Amino acid sequence: MARFVVRRLVGMVAVLFAVSVLTFLIFNVVPGSDPAVRMAGKNATPRLIESITEEWGFDESLPQQYLKMMEKVFSGDLISYEGRENVDERIVEGIPATVSLCIGAAVLWMFFGLLFGYLSAVRAGGWLDRGLTVFAVAGISMPTFLLAALFLNYLTYKAEIFPSSGYVGLTENPLEWAEHLILPWMTLAILNIGFYSRVLRSNMLDAMGEDYVRTARAKGLSERRVMTRHVTRNSLIPIVTLFGLDFGALLGGAIVIEGIFDVEGVGLYAYEALKNFDLPPIMAIVLFGAFFVVLFNALVDIAYAWLDPRIRLGSSAR
Amino acid sequence: MSEALLAVEGLRVAFATEGGTVRAVDGVSFELAAGEVLAIVGESGSGKSATAQAILGLNRSPNARIEGSARLGEVELIGASEEQLREVRGARVAMVFQDPMTSFNPVYRVGDQIAEAIRAHRPQVGRAEARRRAAELLGSVGIPDAERRAAAYPHEFSGGMRQRAMIAMALALDPEVLIADEPTTALDVTIQAQILELLAHLNRERNLATILITHDLGVVAEVADRVLVMHEGRIVERGTLEQVFYSPRDPYTRKLLDAVVRLDQAPPLRPPRAPEPLLELTDLVKHFPLRRGLLFEREVDRVRAVDGVSLTVNHGETLGLVGESGCGKTTLSRTALGLLEPTSGSVRFEGREIAGLSRREMRPLRREMQIVFQDPFASLNPRKRIGQIVGEPLRLQGVAKGGELRGQVRELLGRVGLRPEHYDRFPHEFSGGQRQRIGIARALALRPKLVVADEPVSALDVSIRAQILELLAELQEELGLTYVFVAHDIGVVRHVSDRIAVMHGGKIVEQGPADEVCERPRDPYTRELLAAVPIPDPREARARRQTVGSD
Repeated sequence: MARFVVRRLVGMVAVLFAVSVLTFLIFNVVPGSDPAVRMAGKNATPRLIESITEEWGFDESLPQQYLKMMEKVFSGDLISYEGRENVDERIVEGIPATVSLCIGAAVLWMFFGLLFGYLSAVRAGGWLDRGLTVFAVAGISMPTFLLAALFLNYLTYKAEIFPSSGYVGLTENPLEWAEHLILPWMTLAILNIGFYSRVLRSNMLDAMGEDYVRTARAKGLSERRVMTRHVTRNSLIPIVTLFGLDFGALLGGAIVIEGIFDVEGVGLYAYEALKNFDLPPIMAIVLFGAFFVVLFNALVDIAYAWLDPRIRLGSSAR
Repeated sequence: MSEALLAVEGLRVAFATEGGTVRAVDGVSFELAAGEVLAIVGESGSGKSATAQAILGLNRSPNARIEGSARLGEVELIGASEEQLREVRGARVAMVFQDPMTSFNPVYRVGDQIAEAIRAHRPQVGRAEARRRAAELLGSVGIPDAERRAAAYPHEFSGGMRQRAMIAMALALDPEVLIADEPTTALDVTIQAQILELLAHLNRERNLATILITHDLGVVAEVADRVLVMHEGRIVERGTLEQVFYSPRDPYTRKLLDAVVRLDQAPPLRPPRAPEPLLELTDLVKHFPLRRGLLFEREVDRVRAVDGVSLTVNHGETLGLVGESGCGKTTLSRTALGLLEPTSGSVRFEGREIAGLSRREMRPLRREMQIVFQDPFASLNPRKRIGQIVGEPLRLQGVAKGGELRGQVRELLGRVGLRPEHYDRFPHEFSGGQRQRIGIARALALRPKLVVADEPVSALDVSIRAQILELLAELQEELGLTYVFVAHDIGVVRHVSDRIAVMHGGKIVEQGPADEVCERPRDPYTRELLAAVPIPDPREARARRQTVGSD
């Protein structure tokens, strides 16, 4: 286990370094990205641009600029070019909304995804399975922005069941918190419910053909126990992989959903920053997101070892 | 027989398929008395396993139609509700399956899986009590240190130990009937002998009525009281062990008996010719390092798969390489073919050193040496047509293309006993024996000098085995091939080899002419291997058991 943790930590540093360098380079080679020009605004005099360049250190070498920026990211002193606000503070402000959105959606999609997948597999070929298949395929094929637009149009503007946008803190008013998040949760979850239920279904159908399932029946176990203990557990491994990747990526910001529903989280901040070509927040958010992806990947590996004793943490494949 | 424990009458199992109804079992009747071992013998597809599964209602296909009767005492099993069947399964009729590798759930501890069977039928037994009982059962089937082993996972058991554990699980609830479906087919010969001994012992000690399902008559002779021979869903012969072996009435039974490769009836040796080395291995070593370390790995131990082997294979001969699973015979053959880099030592092919050659330097040599694999199901790409599979080596080596390639492949198919029109079919349309023919055709495509056959017949039925061995011998004669025949069954190896090398723990413990090794074995391990080969003759088998028992 110690070996596993150490390796993962080293890996995480390497990934974050690579991601940040790439982001930094891309920003600097894209034409029209000179921040001094943007900051000086329209009709700026060359003198103004020059002074901004000097003040912000844009004339230093790229490695130097990179090092400075990284230092600021981790010390919490990073200031955005646009609006000149503290980036880390803005991200921290956005975390509650993003985390609320992600966890709520994840609970929904895991619960219904696994339930529907299980029912589909147990009743494979029957009417229930067919119905759930149609639902799943529809959910997978529907673009999230379209689904979001439909929800907003019918449930918010026409029927006025849900509030239109914004985010209310959980501690401020739990009821309004949930009310504001239901539509984003559902939008995010529906795609994944379809996807996860299909994956679980096909894995379970494969597992049902395994010899050990026949053994379980020959022991005289009830069909329910055969399904839950011997079929489902062995089918969960790919689901865990998917979940780790999806959830980790989502924590880095659900840009589209937060944008449409105006949930003031990290994703919305990322959207603003991208629009304004604002490097400091982009950099910080990319690191923030990459951190969660790497973290959840490590958690997935731990979950693997727990689900399947043949997998041992820390031993190399060779 | 009024004391019949299990009475099966007019059992039929039919599957509705696109091509019409397939009668897998077509009117099978038999009775099983308490304390009896009944063997059901037949090839794959004869309906023997379908019969066993029908008795316990384990045929899951929704297209299966089951008719007839199977009475266990007063309970009718055919058409019984799932509830009734569940009370019988495991508790009164227990089953042991062919492949112990896949028959345990890999994610639960062995002891817990046995405990689960106990608690499924006796919910009043506590968890701890069931676990304790599971460990006891493991001990009773000869698993050493049973208490600790009960907490291990299936992958931590060897094949033979897993099959023992499987049997322990079957015994958990003191069943009246044990159905063993090919219980030793996936095991090495030495392990097979141990498992058969265990089954015979349980039958005697517990008076456990046993149905032994197998394709191998050699296995039957060791343990059965009565024998049923099944062919195409019907019973074609029934009788006591001696009747079936010494005065078979049905021609099919005779065919099965003839197909068994007998250790004591090896073919006459070919006259030795002047030895002209084709492949020479000198002090060959292949170790696999085990690495460990926080960040930087260092070697902590090594698996000595091949540990100093010197061996010569001469032009035109067959060298048999025998040993159990894990003895290093597969690693040795792959290293000799240049598929694995040796740790040290030399491999010379036609006098040229090939150890340490680069991939590119090896490429032209690959044409000269080919390999036939064990599992004809796993070693053919299911999405490619036979023509593509067999023609691929020709295409890759740039030997032929287009119409010429097609012609050569068709000729090859003919040569291995397939038809040219099989060119466009897919692997799943063929039986195991036919698939192995395809594997052989692929190996021969480049006209190699040396063919390594790695357990080429162990996945096949006994009756098919003989045909494939014959084909290999014919091809050797025609094409002047040199074979390295790798197998765990010294009986089969003797049948085909000029010389035999016995491998154990990464080393060659004995080598010499086939006759000499089999008749005057010098190494105790070779003797052990020879003693494990089943004798397809009840009287001899009994005689041997007695002498072994008096040791």
